[in-house]
Amino acid sequence: MEQVRDSVQEVFREVFDDDEIVLHDATTAGDLEGWDSLMHINLVIAIEKRFAVRFATAEISWLKEDGQNVGSLLELLTRKLHPEA
Amino acid sequence: MQQPLELSTDRFLAAAAGERGIAFKQLLSQLKLAVKDDQLDAAAAALRRAALPSLDYTSARSLHGVLKRVRSGTRRVSPPVRLAILSGFSSKYLTELLELFLFAAGVDVEIYEADYGVFRQEILDPDSQLHAFRPKLLYLATGWRDLANRPEIGASTQQVRELVDRELEEWSRLWQTAHDRMTCQIVQNNFDLPPWRVLGNHEMRHPSSLGRFISLVNQSFFEQASPYVTIHDVDHLAASAGRWSWGDERYFHHAKIPCAPEYLVDYAHSAASVISALLGKAKKCLVLDLDNTLWGGVIGDDGLGGIRLGQGDGEAEAFQDFQRYAKGLQSRGVILAVCSKNDERTAREPFEKHTEMILRLEDISCFVANWDDKADNLRLIAEQLNIGLDSLVFVDDNPAERAIVRRFVPEVGVPEIPADPADFVRVLESHRYFQIASLGKEDLRRTDYYRANVARLQVRQSATDIDSFLASLQMVARIAPIESATLERTTQLINKSNQFNLTTRRYSSAEVQAMAQDPGWITRTVSLADRFGDNGLISVLLARVEGDVVEIDTWLMSCRVLKRGVEDLLLNDLCAAAIGRGARTVRGEFIPTARNALAREHYQQLGFARIRDESEHTWWELRLVDDWKPRTHHIQEAALDGAGSR
Repeated sequence: MEQVRDSVQEVFREVFDDDEIVLHDATTAGDLEGWDSLMHINLVIAIEKRFAVRFATAEISWLKEDGQNVGSLLELLTRKLHPEA
Repeated sequence: MQQPLELSTDRFLAAAAGERGIAFKQLLSQLKLAVKDDQLDAAAAALRRAALPSLDYTSARSLHGVLKRVRSGTRRVSPPVRLAILSGFSSKYLTELLELFLFAAGVDVEIYEADYGVFRQEILDPDSQLHAFRPKLLYLATGWRDLANRPEIGASTQQVRELVDRELEEWSRLWQTAHDRMTCQIVQNNFDLPPWRVLGNHEMRHPSSLGRFISLVNQSFFEQASPYVTIHDVDHLAASAGRWSWGDERYFHHAKIPCAPEYLVDYAHSAASVISALLGKAKKCLVLDLDNTLWGGVIGDDGLGGIRLGQGDGEAEAFQDFQRYAKGLQSRGVILAVCSKNDERTAREPFEKHTEMILRLEDISCFVANWDDKADNLRLIAEQLNIGLDSLVFVDDNPAERAIVRRFVPEVGVPEIPADPADFVRVLESHRYFQIASLGKEDLRRTDYYRANVARLQVRQSATDIDSFLASLQMVARIAPIESATLERTTQLINKSNQFNLTTRRYSSAEVQAMAQDPGWITRTVSLADRFGDNGLISVLLARVEGDVVEIDTWLMSCRVLKRGVEDLLLNDLCAAAIGRGARTVRGEFIPTARNALAREHYQQLGFARIRDESEHTWWELRLVDDWKPRTHHIQEAALDGAGSR
């Protein structure tokens, strides 16, 4: 999980072009400047590429809905990476 | 010593597939450091080289981020090209990448982007922001969902034909409105066929299927779009990618992205290649190594019977196919040159004697085989062919030679050719170096000119003085205002000529046409033939009449006909026309660029007086009453076909 978090943080830094970004489970779209719907899609594209996973159509928007945060993203991603666990 | 930024760029360009990720990360951090240290030129140069169509989407966006910083710190040298993007899908994801690849091709753009889906309103409403922006280029980035006349299943062949006609008519009307109101050149996407087929195997056969309808519309676009419209073949991109991989409906549903996001990179690269070709930035010459590039083995060691080329062996056939591809490029106007480390006699032998060779000596416009540095030899080739280094593409199987060329002549395009000759064509194609903007007849004949040039050089060496040389050429010129038949070639020259070009002003065909029809302008084109062949249309002059002054806005000439007297002939004609209009003075100007030094003395040599200068930029004047008498030359004027066009 920690390794996934580090990699996801790296993706965020790349996509937002900001090396200062530090992610916490509680980080939401509202906490990061510029995390609008356009950048959300850019994030999803980058995460799919980095981890070679595929988000379902519903998951793509769910990740940005109220109540979701970086923690939910990590959880979903971990489930995709280790479906048997 | 090489700078860390250059080093990391070289490493990235040569990185094997498994190491590209790391190499890119290092390159990106070096790029950011360079920007931070205010080394913007170095950052820009590295960006140009690293912007490849094989980048992944996120990396390409990162490079665009660096480009934005470079831009904000650099002053623009010349005004950018105004490019408007109107789209049926969300073009925002595409635009950044398009800007990156245009920059890499040497095109500086200012972009206006409308919200998606409003392209019709933007064009039809004369008060729209698009009109206020006054684009020089308009890119209509639309997809098949923007087709308004899709047939219902069950429609008859005749009904479908009418729908196709109506579709073409509606788009044509949009193009014409945009062109008439804004005098812009248009790039129009065609339509990618969806991967699904409700009619299965009969999709392309059934009269009213979506697939067949889209194909028919695409065909009608290709065949019937006006000359100021260039069709961008998106359907080919989809087919090359594989239609199911190309499409990713998830991203269309969420974000109106027209294809799977990773393919946006190639999409943008393709659109950028078409746009930059329209602006005259396509490469012109393919420079080929010989050993293990055109054949297997080393001619100097293995001998004529030992090299692998031709039927009977897999790899030997692959080399032959690569030659066939190069021959195809040559026959449509790409210049071929050879650059090989060999003794010249040995290097020429396969071209003269090997029966399986597809390329022959007469296909090669410049043949350089020696033991010198390849970087020096590429400079020599550019010089001999009279084209810029940035017009060359260099193909060599040897990674060390590629590295040397990248390092010492970074202007040259150097694709990372794989070891297997069967992959050469695919890699070369992926760069779209030789993109075509328009199908000019002149392109198809270009190699003849260069070959004839060699013959002329030989005569020149035998003629003792320049006058008898020029007389011996038996030159005949046709000089005329711009006509519909010469519009395309004229526009091509205006946008391509760099060297003998006094002002390097670029105009779209729409703008040129407007000048040709404007009585306030004098426009001239010159075509020149001699006893070695027809040079085609080789010089253009555009001048504005203002009271009793004729102001030369544009004067350019193909370098093939340098020092042949064409400028004397053209000046005589211009002065006669100017006097006919009651003018007393002809004025000209020289705007220096990195490429046009050889035109610097042009006006002085023609007897103009310098009236003003700002550093290298100079203004000149010829007083028709006092200073001027017709200049002598050795060119006969051909009778104009058709009466009274002057």
